[in-house]
Amino acid sequence: MNRTQLIEELRRIVGPTGVIADPVALMTYDADGCVMDTGEPQVVALPTSAEQVSGVVRLAARYGVPIVPRGAGTGLAGGATAIGGGIVVSTARMDRVLEIDARNGRVLCQPGVINWELSQLVKPYGYQFAPDPSSQKACTVGGNIANNAGGPHCLKYGTTSSHVLGVQMVLPDGSIIWTGDGNPAPVGYDLTGVITGSEGTIGLVTAAWLKLTRLPEAVRVVLALFPDIAGASASVSQVIASGFLPAALEIMDRLAIKAVNDMYKLGLPEQAGAALLIEVDGVDDGLDELLADITAVCWRNGALDVRPARTPAEQNQVWAARKNAFGAMGRLAPTYYLVDTVVPRTRLPYTMEQVGRISREYRLPIANVFHAGDGNLHPIILFDRRDRSQNQRALEAATGVMHVSIEQGGVISGEHGIGVEKQDYMTLLFSTDDLAAMAGLHQSFDPYDLFNPGKVFPKGRGCGELAALRKAGVAWSELKSR
Amino acid sequence: MLPASLTRQLTEIVGPDRVTEETAPFAVHGQAPALVITPAAVEDLSRAVAACHAARVPLVPWGGGTRQRWGRPIAAETFVVLRTTGLRSILMHEPDDLTISVEAGMTFAALDAALAGHNQMLPLDPPRPAQSTIGGLLASGADGPRRLAYGTSRDLLIGIRVVEATGRLSKAGGMVVKNVSGFDMMKLYLGSLGTLAIIVSANFKLIPRPRAAASVSCFFEPPERAFRLISALSASQLTPVAVEYREDGVAANIEARIEGLPAAVERHVRDLRRMAEEAGAGAVSLSAEGPVAVEQRWASFNDAPQTVDLAADELVARLSCLPGALETALGDARALAAQAGLPLRVQAHALSGVAYLRLRGGDEGLRAWHAAMLARWPHLVVIGAQPALAAELPVWGAALANLDLMRRIKQEFDPENLLNPGRYVV
Repeated sequence: MNRTQLIEELRRIVGPTGVIADPVALMTYDADGCVMDTGEPQVVALPTSAEQVSGVVRLAARYGVPIVPRGAGTGLAGGATAIGGGIVVSTARMDRVLEIDARNGRVLCQPGVINWELSQLVKPYGYQFAPDPSSQKACTVGGNIANNAGGPHCLKYGTTSSHVLGVQMVLPDGSIIWTGDGNPAPVGYDLTGVITGSEGTIGLVTAAWLKLTRLPEAVRVVLALFPDIAGASASVSQVIASGFLPAALEIMDRLAIKAVNDMYKLGLPEQAGAALLIEVDGVDDGLDELLADITAVCWRNGALDVRPARTPAEQNQVWAARKNAFGAMGRLAPTYYLVDTVVPRTRLPYTMEQVGRISREYRLPIANVFHAGDGNLHPIILFDRRDRSQNQRALEAATGVMHVSIEQGGVISGEHGIGVEKQDYMTLLFSTDDLAAMAGLHQSFDPYDLFNPGKVFPKGRGCGELAALRKAGVAWSELKSR
Repeated sequence: MLPASLTRQLTEIVGPDRVTEETAPFAVHGQAPALVITPAAVEDLSRAVAACHAARVPLVPWGGGTRQRWGRPIAAETFVVLRTTGLRSILMHEPDDLTISVEAGMTFAALDAALAGHNQMLPLDPPRPAQSTIGGLLASGADGPRRLAYGTSRDLLIGIRVVEATGRLSKAGGMVVKNVSGFDMMKLYLGSLGTLAIIVSANFKLIPRPRAAASVSCFFEPPERAFRLISALSASQLTPVAVEYREDGVAANIEARIEGLPAAVERHVRDLRRMAEEAGAGAVSLSAEGPVAVEQRWASFNDAPQTVDLAADELVARLSCLPGALETALGDARALAAQAGLPLRVQAHALSGVAYLRLRGGDEGLRAWHAAMLARWPHLVVIGAQPALAAELPVWGAALANLDLMRRIKQEFDPENLLNPGRYVV
């Protein structure tokens, strides 16, 4: 490939200010939030419209250069990293909200719109965009769609896929399609559904109709403090089993409390081994009763204290501490590895015990800040990346968490995605036939592997190969045994 | 005619008492299959599909048969009906996790009964729950009144297992409520009407049954007036779980279903009464109180889209549009029906934008109504009509924009076009 020529042609499509080719500037694009895997792109393009994206995609196809879509780069699985080089297509300049349709509870926006800003913008209309990842002040809705992002309030409101009504997408052949506009019973295969969570491997979303959720009439937040994480986890399991429907159930453990205490002056007692953040919402009537029932479960499980956050300001402070907990980790160690897995909610207490065991076994501190109500763990392994032994132990500890989660009937990612970080764990969960079915779907969109190649599918079993097996009607295991 | 060797092979696989050549009750749009098989195990089903694939004989997956009037006629002279009703176990239910895994042939009523014992529910509200199977309601992607609060199967399905066209078994998702491990294949199979694979089991997240419930009924004449209440509800912070609009051309009724905490239910009843009166309701009443009474009252509303019992001159259509456009759409449906002299009955998920329309009349009138309506409302799907009319009408509505891509998907999953050929959009 002639890089100079490629850059020249890119400039013609997106304009001179829409291309980043300077070697120093390119270094900022060599990873997303997953710093364990890096890869520098040949060039970064910043288109402003679907037509420009289409032009870039056609050019890439002609040159045989991969396209790597990128939002804010907050992803934690390496989904936006150009592992094998290529053109990073950033949505940073496609950041406009195009239409707010309050009557139908929907909004049309470009992919580079920041999640938090969208919710702020629709607030005066009495709405919110319900998915609220911890990175919401930076992450984009395009990235949310690509990863089917979650967040604390997904416990009640569901993950991103329940909030995407339709998308405009540039396909690997450069064509531009619309998959829906909010019609509640569309005919045909659910393209919107399969695109959401496909991690930029089958096309690039250039606009989306998103569903808005009415702001609740009332919100109550309490923080229950426990001597250890066991009591908090057991409370969560029992709250779910009892059939209460809180809006969010989030746990922070001792290390996380220490980090956010230092940073946000929350004044949480440091003898608390775990804090459980409970939020209920809805019409005002009945909320106190619901909260009383939930806090009763906490007391039964040995809570030290239950502190209500009465004013919106207090509630914001508690939530800010929770959502910025990852940032506060910098106070504890130079590097952290955030592992995202899910277990059935009855298995939470046992799984958290095992996370403690793994921490001791690999001699690395692990902080926990997680969506307990969904059974979605986030053990944060604290280490120093410059120390090779620690680096290795961190990776092994993460693998340990993944194995425990699968043993307990869980899965390897709840909301961060597979990307490159977890591609080799896919075979722990899926058979070759399962993967071949996914490859079939992938091939129908991107037969030449132009978009984000080498992601999601296990290394050494590229989707093209899996699709070929599928066409031949042969399973991988059978093929190997011949 | 089926090749005798295939009949023999299928009989060997599923057992002689699970094969029948009395196929008339399994006709699709009047066309009877050559054979009906009811495998008793997933492995048998998979082998039977593989055998049909090898012989290039098309298959029609069949659950409870309650939605077999959907779609176009089968584009093949000979086909085999494959019933899933031999697969009807609960595979895993961990009540404290609020998740369940069930086989596709289990009826919705059986599942609901099993969940009731644990005070849980899967709030999908299908018509004819005693016949309707889990696989069928997923394959047809049907919705129900309570989608307003709990979503559709799209939001509640967390895992799936299918038998593909070659007989290969594959799964996706899992038994957890949040999961982005791999592509969301659930979305692909949901609503694909058995044209990509045959669903053999499904995992769901469950909802606790409500502690309290009530149903409020509001009468409006003329029907247009009901939309004042619908707009007010849409703009409010109330959270009814279902709001159904019913109309017979002269008057309309809004029935709101409320579930949740006792105090919240009381509050909703109070506010609804006030809002209905402000909107000019002729009468407002508390039509049912308590979870059991409310469930009983709503059984008939859930049944509105049923097409099992269809009069000889009846057409049933599903109209979907943005919620804000529903009033206009129903106005058009009403005016066009009056023009053609056809009696019309409507039931709509008023805040979601989905309406089920039932018309009676001669083919000429039905044809004219349908053509005029489709010209204005592209998402008009005929889900019940006599065979001749179903074969003739564009039952899936206006032409789809992304047909090429959908064809590529179909080509990847069923290149020989053996699963429900011709039935769906591709």
